[in-house]
Amino acid sequence: MNRFLQRSLLSGPPLLYLLVFFLLPTLIMVVVSFGWPGEQGGLAPLWLRDAQGFHLDLTLDNYADFVSTTLYLRLLAKSFWYAVLTTLICLVMAYPLAMLIAKSDKRHRNLMVLLVILPFWSNFLIRVYAWMIILGPQAGLSQALNGVLALFGWGPVSLLFSPFAVLVGLVYVHLPFMILPLYANLEKHDPGLMDAARDLGANRWQCFWRVTFPLSLPGVLAGSALVFIPALGAFAVPDILGGTGGIMIGNVIKMQFLEARDWPFGSTLSIVLTLFALGVTGIAAWLVRRRGGSYV
Amino acid sequence: MNKLLAAMLLFLAPVAFAGDVLHIYNWNNYIAPETLARFKEQCRCRVAYDTYGSNDELLAKLAAGAKGYDLLVPSGNAVESLLKQQALQAIDKKLLTNLKNINPSFLNSSFDRGNVYSIPYAYTTTLIGYNEDKIRQLGIPVNTWAAIFDPIYLAPMKGRVTVLDDQRELMAAALKYLGYSVNDGDEAHWRQAADVIMKAKPYWAAFMNTGYIRLLSTGDIWLVHGYSNDMFQANDAAIKAGKGIRISYTAPREGAVLALDSMVIHKDAPRADLAHQFINFMLEGRNAAELTNLTGSGSPNLDAMQYIRAGIVRNEGIFPGKQVLDKLEQLQDLDRRKRRLLSRLWTEIKLSP
Repeated sequence: MNRFLQRSLLSGPPLLYLLVFFLLPTLIMVVVSFGWPGEQGGLAPLWLRDAQGFHLDLTLDNYADFVSTTLYLRLLAKSFWYAVLTTLICLVMAYPLAMLIAKSDKRHRNLMVLLVILPFWSNFLIRVYAWMIILGPQAGLSQALNGVLALFGWGPVSLLFSPFAVLVGLVYVHLPFMILPLYANLEKHDPGLMDAARDLGANRWQCFWRVTFPLSLPGVLAGSALVFIPALGAFAVPDILGGTGGIMIGNVIKMQFLEARDWPFGSTLSIVLTLFALGVTGIAAWLVRRRGGSYV
Repeated sequence: MNKLLAAMLLFLAPVAFAGDVLHIYNWNNYIAPETLARFKEQCRCRVAYDTYGSNDELLAKLAAGAKGYDLLVPSGNAVESLLKQQALQAIDKKLLTNLKNINPSFLNSSFDRGNVYSIPYAYTTTLIGYNEDKIRQLGIPVNTWAAIFDPIYLAPMKGRVTVLDDQRELMAAALKYLGYSVNDGDEAHWRQAADVIMKAKPYWAAFMNTGYIRLLSTGDIWLVHGYSNDMFQANDAAIKAGKGIRISYTAPREGAVLALDSMVIHKDAPRADLAHQFINFMLEGRNAAELTNLTGSGSPNLDAMQYIRAGIVRNEGIFPGKQVLDKLEQLQDLDRRKRRLLSRLWTEIKLSP
């Protein structure tokens, strides 16, 4: 009993927090997605009163609007590819770095981890705006690139306001979320495993591919989820760096709550996005589990 | 015991004083700091000053339940929406001794006949701003919306043009270009306007609401669709940068959007008395003039004209002449069905190649 009390005291507050600030809002959003938009914004009353008394006034209209055109599915697909590319690039960039940190001297590790999270000390928007200057047409990067292109007789390209800029921004913002779980995983690997693998005749590549990588799959999965899900719903980065083509589903959801003052449709889009993200991460976890066997 | 009481009173005293607070929710950069300072002195109160960047932001924040604001400065269509929500209270005009200063042509707008709830503050127009030398070199006509929509003119400016990231404003420009009213509600006309926008979009650098001020002044961008007061700021920035870039702006001959921002008092305003004082204060010519001298917004205040710098009074982009003024239109609020349709068209525009 005492043990039970202890456990509930410890797990109670975080559970309550998640219940009140995650589950409840999500349920509210589910309900709102079946409501009508208010004439001046917000939500129309969910209950109607007529001769038969009070009754619920819900609709499937919002979902019907969602599927009545391929527009929103194309938008979701576009956001999906941006998120997948961001995740893959982050993974390829973060893995060697996480390994380097994990294998370096214990005294330096904390400093290196600190350096990875150092960007968080400044505001997210300021860091994204900084990319606007770095990629701008007057900056050295664009000038140098276009100088080289001119040598081959190719016309100048614009780095800023392009899908490339959106990808750069997304990777930059999410990279630490890939590095940290990977590092946390790789750091725990027993160095003895490498010795054993080498003793059994594995070369370096085999050591990595058949021992280290499978063991790190939980870290890869955690990092990928931490990057993929927020990247899928990103709206500030495409807004600032994307130019005329920079729109993702996050921007359209934001638009429903601001310009369109249409909470029900915004909720519908959010629910679809949540289900989609859950589906994709679920499938990814299942695939990894199947291939990774007992490691995960 | 007495000492304790005295100490408690000392703590309470500033709290009692802090009770005299006027909560203002206004646009970014839409009052001169010295004006605000003088008002605080005059009313012997504190002012809690919050800002927004768009009418949508204001409406969304109020719709989400923000409370405690006394005075707001929305544009006409947002006043209309707030009135439909019954979120405003009637203004007691007996308290407004300076109301006579307002130019009658800015009174009696369609969103509030008789100005029961709203008093004009300042106005801006949406027009075309441009880098004078570049555009003259290219020989592009700047007195027509064709400058931002016609691929013939856009081709030599590819990647050097920005338009507002605002559904209503950009659609209004396209509707005007096609010869319709900015408040045309015909779905077929909206379609046509969206097509005009999608054909021009590949030539634009970006959709932008404030960033163009800097880009225009540095010479990165040559022609923009934007607000008259922002063009004024861009010109200021260009002069300060001293690179010899000159910026001009004109209202297109097809007509454009006029945004009349008005002072309104929220229905639940805790201090409607202070809000009335503020409105009357801003109706004084000198105070209204300071706003125009700082921000380049047009002033509906006749008494203010004598204090406004001559260069600004003569600027047709800020104070349009009668001919242009007749062609300006204020945006009206959209119902929920139209808002959803517009947001779908806008998504389509943004997703198009």
